[in-house]
Amino acid sequence: MNGKHRLSAASSPHICSPFGTRSLMLDVLIALIPALCMAVYFYGPRALILTAISVGGCEFMEFAYRRLMKKSNTLGDLSAAITGVLLAFVCPVTLPYWIILIGDFFAIIVVKQLFGGLGKNFLNPALAAHAFLMLCYPIPMTTWAKPLEWPGLGISVPGAVTCAAPLSAEFMGSGILPDASLGDMFVGNIGGCLGEVSALMLIIGGAYLLIRGVIRVRIPLAFIGTVAALTFLFPQGNGHLRWMLYSLLGGSLMLGAFFMATDYVTSPVTAGGELFFGVGCGLFTVLIRYFGSYPDGVSHAILIMNSTVCLLDKAGMPARFGVAAGRRKAFWKKFRAGGKGEDAS
Amino acid sequence: MKMRMKIRQQLKEGLFTRNPVLVQQMGLCPVLAVSTSLCNGIGMGLSVLAVLLCSSVIVALLRKIIPDRFRVLCCIAVTAIFTTAAGQLLQSFFPPLSDRLGIYVPLIALNSMILSRTETFAFRSRVDAAAVDGAVQALGYAMALLLLCAVRELLGSGTLGGGLLGAGGAGIRILPEGAGLRVLVLPAGGFLTLAVLIAATQYILRRMAEKNAAAEKEAEL
Amino acid sequence: MKHTFYGGIHPAEHKETTARKPVAPLSKAPSQVVIPLSMQPDSPCRLIVKVGEKVAAGQQIGQADGPGAPIHASVSGKVAAVEPRPYAGGGSRMSVVIENDFQDTLSPGCTPRSSWEALTPQELVDIIKSAGITGMGGAGVPTHHKLSAALGKADTLILNGAECEPYITADHRLMLEQGEKVLGGARILMRALGLDKATIGVEGNKLDAVEHLKNLLPTGETGICIRTLRTRYPQGGEKQLIQRITGRKVPPGGVSADVGCCVFNAGTAAAVYNAVVLGLPLTHRIVTVTGDAVARPKNLMVPLGTSFSHLIEEAGGFVMDPARVISGGPMMGTAQHDLSVTTDKTTNAVLCLAAGDLPAPQREQVCLRCGRCVDVCPMRLAPLYIHMYTQRQLWRRVEDLHAMDCMECGCCQYICPARIPLLQSLRTSKFEIAHRKGAEA
Repeated sequence: MNGKHRLSAASSPHICSPFGTRSLMLDVLIALIPALCMAVYFYGPRALILTAISVGGCEFMEFAYRRLMKKSNTLGDLSAAITGVLLAFVCPVTLPYWIILIGDFFAIIVVKQLFGGLGKNFLNPALAAHAFLMLCYPIPMTTWAKPLEWPGLGISVPGAVTCAAPLSAEFMGSGILPDASLGDMFVGNIGGCLGEVSALMLIIGGAYLLIRGVIRVRIPLAFIGTVAALTFLFPQGNGHLRWMLYSLLGGSLMLGAFFMATDYVTSPVTAGGELFFGVGCGLFTVLIRYFGSYPDGVSHAILIMNSTVCLLDKAGMPARFGVAAGRRKAFWKKFRAGGKGEDAS
Repeated sequence: MKMRMKIRQQLKEGLFTRNPVLVQQMGLCPVLAVSTSLCNGIGMGLSVLAVLLCSSVIVALLRKIIPDRFRVLCCIAVTAIFTTAAGQLLQSFFPPLSDRLGIYVPLIALNSMILSRTETFAFRSRVDAAAVDGAVQALGYAMALLLLCAVRELLGSGTLGGGLLGAGGAGIRILPEGAGLRVLVLPAGGFLTLAVLIAATQYILRRMAEKNAAAEKEAEL
Repeated sequence: MKHTFYGGIHPAEHKETTARKPVAPLSKAPSQVVIPLSMQPDSPCRLIVKVGEKVAAGQQIGQADGPGAPIHASVSGKVAAVEPRPYAGGGSRMSVVIENDFQDTLSPGCTPRSSWEALTPQELVDIIKSAGITGMGGAGVPTHHKLSAALGKADTLILNGAECEPYITADHRLMLEQGEKVLGGARILMRALGLDKATIGVEGNKLDAVEHLKNLLPTGETGICIRTLRTRYPQGGEKQLIQRITGRKVPPGGVSADVGCCVFNAGTAAAVYNAVVLGLPLTHRIVTVTGDAVARPKNLMVPLGTSFSHLIEEAGGFVMDPARVISGGPMMGTAQHDLSVTTDKTTNAVLCLAAGDLPAPQREQVCLRCGRCVDVCPMRLAPLYIHMYTQRQLWRRVEDLHAMDCMECGCCQYICPARIPLLQSLRTSKFEIAHRKGAEA
């Protein structure tokens, strides 16, 4: 019997879970489909075309960069596709196509590939590109189409019918609740970016991700919970409950909480870190909405918290198994001392 | 300590291999702040050239008299004299440019590049060597500054030569209106563009070094 | 109060193939048995028989002078050789090769005892020591050692009937078919430790065993208690079992006696019963031979020292090309390349996996920082950071992340979607840290 069989001898464990990187990314894309369908319903086929161009642009740029730099081809892991879809989702549907390609370039090449590719970026690529585009082209990025008045399919559509988004200066930016009803806000019959309007579809997508175990509930819960608590306690307009509900459903809070803040690479890995991250995102969102010059603070809040992830991870490290809680003080002492005693040997 | 180098070698170093902005990364504050249009770049570059040249010469002349402990103090004092003069000249002859450059003209006195050249090089060299070094380094500074200005203005505002050329000083429009990446005109874009330029310089330098190493290896064989 | 342990995973169990198959004796006895002189490489037994001598089953053939346990012949026959032989745990060990004479002559020293209740704890420990009983579920620590170390310190006795690894059903069948021996062993161990309470923890996927054991206990029993545990790997790990049943956490670098607990495998308890009541040393154990690659998976009562190839023949031989043969379970077992290795006291399964059961060989991808490894680690480590620092050889940082606490359960590598060999990095880092500590000392 010996020597007749080709036995492979690797070290344990010899089995692995059925989920791989690609299946996780595929799940995220599937979770984004309901929101995309709603966007097409409200804004017409241009929504689909803008998303497709964004995805194609991201994939092409990743492919071209990796090829030019003689690195491995990573198109198969679908992360560039997700960045493309998310970037399209935070842009208005009337955005000219060439502007979103510039956004793709910034997201994929500058934010992701220049730092080392997947797993190495410290900012969420789609949100960083969104911030970049807001700085470069503020007017096109804040011109929202009216729902159900489908804009044309041309490269830029100057004649599209526009309306104000709920969080802009006309409404909640000045403390006035928008005309749209709560039902409209929930379904998405309001002005806003392509993928952020339909809270219903985003919650469905988020639920799918939670059920499949792709994301954990801590960050969305902490994020949405903090915004809910702060807007309930400190409303700027009429009524605590109404103001809170409009705040939760308006802007890109649902999109940010379920899809952006939970991005693996740029969020903490420890439980404590995740909770702190979610709370911090919520806090900055409300602060920027109330006191900042941008109408919606979600993307910048997440970007701010992205840059603190390293510290959050350190702070949120679980207590050592079998060591009493009192000994955590020793850890904090060492942490404050600046991590002395580290060496590269 | 007297340093004698060939002028051509110094030129190559000042402009390229040891460029104060792109390689040594000194004196970056005014570079990032004023490089929003070509005209600003020319103005700042010429000012820096004048100040560094004159300061280097004077410091080299005075080097035997100044004690070592007052080295930095005297270099700054000399630079400040020439900066004030340059500032006054700019204000008299080119007031709009002077307004646009704003506080960064008086800040030339504290420019780390100028301080470093006068303190480490001019203080220990003969006048002619100091003059050459000052001129060459300032030329490198100005060249990098102009490059940055050109990129930022072209891609950021879509014009070239704003403040100097074009109708009413608006510059020659190259990209259509509203098509420029406005962020490049903002400080954030300045950092981004400078980073790309520094990366490109590093890449070219590394390729040159590899080629030289390969050529040396072949020469040995 | 209900406690639980952190993390853990729930892989597909694959136990249904053999869970209902009663333990069968070998249809054909092995022609030779190869018994290693020790299970720890640095403390071999001293041989007390000579090559060519005739031995009976159950006769002691090795004396433990050091910290090990004595070894006994599992079959009767002639000592053919004492030489290095391949060992399932890796490498080769000095082993005693006994040619089976197929007579199954029992050694005269193996006589049953009429009553054991009169024996003192020290006498019980001596009997257990001379029977060569070691832990049958894990590292194979000699049972008499554990008892002596825990005497006076332990206030809780726990029997481990969890068997959390997929595929294995040896302890399950033991509890179903020899439940009286498990309970009897529990009582003996309670006596040896001077305790009056014991808990047997059984995972929820073995409810029939739980029922059976509960039925065997007399009504009004206050000593032994059967607890049903959540089915999760690695519930059967000693530290996790203690945490689940008592809520206490073993400190880093410590042993279970430090928190007043003493844990034994259910099979060890049955072996203790055999030794004290029936006078039999540890010569046989239940081994599950399973996997898609064998024709008829089964649970077998196997004399120690039987080769893997013999066991695979008993299970009907290979029905398809085996890709991997594992001694133990798929999470912590050792892959074998030489099927002439033999079973020892801790071998609970021979797992023959076909290519379809193994993960497809794929290139390791980049770490996504998804955090699943941090979620599943039962020892609350952060494997992704340990891996990152190990790659860069920053050993001080790795030590600060408590890599030495790792119990090598493999949950992190199982769950990683990027298929990063996290356990490899952890093992490497543990070796490096221990190496550096040894060098500095």
